[in-house]
Amino acid sequence: MGRLVFAGAMSHVLDPDYYDRACGALGRQKVVAAMAEIARMGERLSAQEPHALIVVADDHLNAFSFNCVPAMCVRIGRRVQRMAQDHAEAFDKVLDHMPTDYPLHEELANAILEQGVASGFDLALSWEAPVDHAFLSPVNTMHGARPIPPLVPIWVNAFVAPQPTARRCFAFGQHIARVVARSPWRVGIIATGGLSHFPELALPRVGETDTVFDRRLIHWMEAGEHGPLQELTADELHKSGSHEFLNWMVLLGAVTPARADVRYFGELPRINLAAVEWRL
Amino acid sequence: MSRYEVNSLLYRLKKDPDFRERFTRDAAAALAGADLTEAERAAFIARDMRAINELGGYLHLVMSIPGLAVH
Repeated sequence: MGRLVFAGAMSHVLDPDYYDRACGALGRQKVVAAMAEIARMGERLSAQEPHALIVVADDHLNAFSFNCVPAMCVRIGRRVQRMAQDHAEAFDKVLDHMPTDYPLHEELANAILEQGVASGFDLALSWEAPVDHAFLSPVNTMHGARPIPPLVPIWVNAFVAPQPTARRCFAFGQHIARVVARSPWRVGIIATGGLSHFPELALPRVGETDTVFDRRLIHWMEAGEHGPLQELTADELHKSGSHEFLNWMVLLGAVTPARADVRYFGELPRINLAAVEWRL
Repeated sequence: MSRYEVNSLLYRLKKDPDFRERFTRDAAAALAGADLTEAERAAFIARDMRAINELGGYLHLVMSIPGLAVH
C-alpha cells in the first residue's frame, strides 16, 4: 500500500542574487538561511527513497497564458522541460543554470488525473507545458547534486481570476492522498510559493507584505486546524498577497489532519520567506 | 480596456525576441495593428510598466520582460 512519506512547502524564488538585488545584504542572508533549511528538508525526503515527488505550484503566465488557463492541471507524459526564456530577468533568472529535462512519474500522474476526473474533479491535462521556477527552484534546492525522483507537476491557477477556491484546492489534495494510498508507491509532496508578497498584484505595492496574515496561516497549520484555512476567500488571498497559498491548500488536503513544523520564517520587505514541513 | 490585448502584447514582448526587437526599435510601428485604447497605446509607447499594470497588465509579466521589466 502506498503512502505519503514526506510533505513540505516553501517559497520558490531561491536565489541569493535575486534577493540581494531586491532587498540588499539582508535579503541575501535570509534566503541563504531559508535555502539551507530547504536543503535539509530535501535530505529527509531523499532518505525516504520516494518513488515519486508531487510538486504543486503555479504558473507565472509562462506555460499557460492566453490559449487556456486551467484551474488545475496535471502534467502527464514521460519527461518535462525547464521553461525557456532568452535574456531572463528577475525571478526567471534563477532557472538559468538548472538542468533542462526531468523525468516524470507517468503512472502516478495518470492515476491522479484519471481517478480525479472519475470522482468529479474536472482536471486539465498537459503533455507539453514546461515548468518554471515555481517547480524547479525548490526541487533543485532540495536535491543539490543528488538524483531527483520522477516528478508529478500539478499547476494551480493562482493569479488569473477567477481562481479555484481554497476549499476546492483542499478537496483536490484529499483526492491525491486517496490515490497515493491505493497505489504501491512511496510518494513525497511539496507545495511552493509565498508567503505574503505582491498584494493585489499591483506594482506600487511590490515591497509590501502582510505578516499578521501569514502568522495566522502558520498558527492554523501548526495546530492542524484546517477548517479556517478552507474558509479563506479569493479577496483575502488577493489583498494579502497570498495568491500562491492555494498551492499549499492542496498539500494541506493531502496531509490533513497532520500538524506543521516551521523550519524557517523570515520577513523581508519584498516577501515573507518560509519553509514548512508536516509530521506525517 | 482590452485586458486580453494588453496581456497578449506583454506575453509576446517576453517570449518573442523578434517582436521585442521591433518594439524596441519603433514601438508605435510595432503596435500599429494592435487593438488598444489610446491610454494603453500611450503606456506601451512610453514603456510605462506601472501604467500598463494599472491598465490590467499582469504583474509577473511587467516584472520579467527582458530589457523592459521593472523590478
